[in-house]
Amino acid sequence: MRPIIGWTLRQKRLSMIWWSVGLVAFISLEMSVYPTIKDQSNNLNNLIKNLPSTVKSLFGAQDLFSPVGYVNSHIFYLLIPLMLAILAIGLGGTLIAKEESDSTIELLLSRPVSRGRLLVAKALGGLMVLAIVSVVATAAIVVWGKAAGLEIPIPRLAFASLEQAVLATLFGALAFAIAATGRWGRRASVGVASLIGLGSYIIASLESSVRWLSWPAKLLPYHYYNPPAALNGSYQWKVTGVFAAMSLALIVVSYFIFRDRDLSGS
Amino acid sequence: MFATSVKPAIETFGLSKQYAKGDKFALRKLNITIMSGEVYGFLGPNGAGKSTTIRLLMNFIQPSEGHAQIHGLNVVSDSVEAKKIVGYLAGEFAYYPRMTGGQFLAYLSELQPPKHKSQMDRLARLFDVPLNRRLSDLSKGNRQKIAVIQALMAEPDVLILDEPTSGLDPLMQEVFYDQIRQSKKRGATVFFSSHDLSEVQKICDRVGFIRGGELIAEQTIGQLSKSAVQTYHISFATDAPLAALRRLKGVKVSGNTPQHATVKVRGDLRPLFSLLSKCPVNAIDRQDIELEEEFLRYYQRGAK
Repeated sequence: MRPIIGWTLRQKRLSMIWWSVGLVAFISLEMSVYPTIKDQSNNLNNLIKNLPSTVKSLFGAQDLFSPVGYVNSHIFYLLIPLMLAILAIGLGGTLIAKEESDSTIELLLSRPVSRGRLLVAKALGGLMVLAIVSVVATAAIVVWGKAAGLEIPIPRLAFASLEQAVLATLFGALAFAIAATGRWGRRASVGVASLIGLGSYIIASLESSVRWLSWPAKLLPYHYYNPPAALNGSYQWKVTGVFAAMSLALIVVSYFIFRDRDLSGS
Repeated sequence: MFATSVKPAIETFGLSKQYAKGDKFALRKLNITIMSGEVYGFLGPNGAGKSTTIRLLMNFIQPSEGHAQIHGLNVVSDSVEAKKIVGYLAGEFAYYPRMTGGQFLAYLSELQPPKHKSQMDRLARLFDVPLNRRLSDLSKGNRQKIAVIQALMAEPDVLILDEPTSGLDPLMQEVFYDQIRQSKKRGATVFFSSHDLSEVQKICDRVGFIRGGELIAEQTIGQLSKSAVQTYHISFATDAPLAALRRLKGVKVSGNTPQHATVKVRGDLRPLFSLLSKCPVNAIDRQDIELEEEFLRYYQRGAK
């Protein structure tokens, strides 16, 4: 299993570097303007109060310029989880699927490697890529938080980061499971997982203002994703645990789908 | 004593594959037994079911009916155990384009540790292929050499090879045949598919013919060379001795110009060559054995 994880990481090293660079650049941009905004936060918040609630909810908070409000709306609510979800979905939709469409999977399975082990190795490889990029992003948030005088304790930032990484993992695992079904799944995985991810975000962010959306929103993971809670010191272990358990369940489902089906070339 | 101790290396029992319900069977009730140490050629035109059989043996696809064993291990339920002793070469070589040949072989060696570590370098030298260049930068022929090396390097007990020589130049084909003979010498079993009968004749002990998903016939090479039709294009310095040629047993003159004859021979070649030794022959060109023709013969025989 180790050689497969090792090679997966090696294959993804450039992509890891670019994702890390991109995320750090983005976080730096957002955080570097915070000191300027901090001084005017009261005025700006008053200004925002007059906007319709639908518009406000898209940013993820009613309070946009307090330390928690700023970090939530600019970092944790949308952009970083969205970017991590894109990375995770991309990985989930290709880790096994690309090997299968390129037929290189046959080289691996012609060795004494079971399909289960291959699947676990690939999933672990993908998880590591996501973890490495998440840790880099978290480090950037913490460092910039200190530099910009953001008064949020490090453990709270770290937990919010963990929560967004686990949410992204869930979408990645969904893509992984869809891609595990074979030729059609391979083509549909990225699209379907992205649709569910993005749709889930839109529905969850609008549910407070559009009443009839509140029920379907409860079926979607974004509804339970609440970074301000973590940033205010209440860690939602249960939600994070459920996201992780669902991701694991999707990997197990992938195994049962992939275990004894015919491999399909391109 | 030895004869009784030889065990089957590959066995299939009614092995069948239907890719989708209602589709024609890609492979229908295949029963073959290949003994340890045997080199078995699996011959058939494209789409006959050769690759399907190989992919079933490798557990890449699931049988619709029947089962198969490699050294007594079920290829589905004991797949991992079976693959410890199998070397495989795919019909279309899939590779990681950004890996060098060396990285590629080292990666696969980690997944199936070779008995002798020096084997990889020995084969690379033998096949004369650079290991420090990216696979995407290698020529198709050199990549095929890497494909052959990865199948042979663990010195497996069973080699399952899907058209292994396609893309190899004649010199390297000979190197490959030699490796197959050596594998046989150390007791390995070789199952390989081909659509080139002359290749199969060179190295196989036995041949199975497959067509339309069904095994039409199995023959030893001895039987095969006796019965196969061979075609020669012969150019003469003077007029072709057509009448003498036509009189030879088992010989048919199928086309000619005054100084050229196309001759089809079945069975013993000695009468033809003894005649030719007395004639001023400019050139003899042997045409590859026409597999379709052989098939047709078996097919017709089966239909009778």
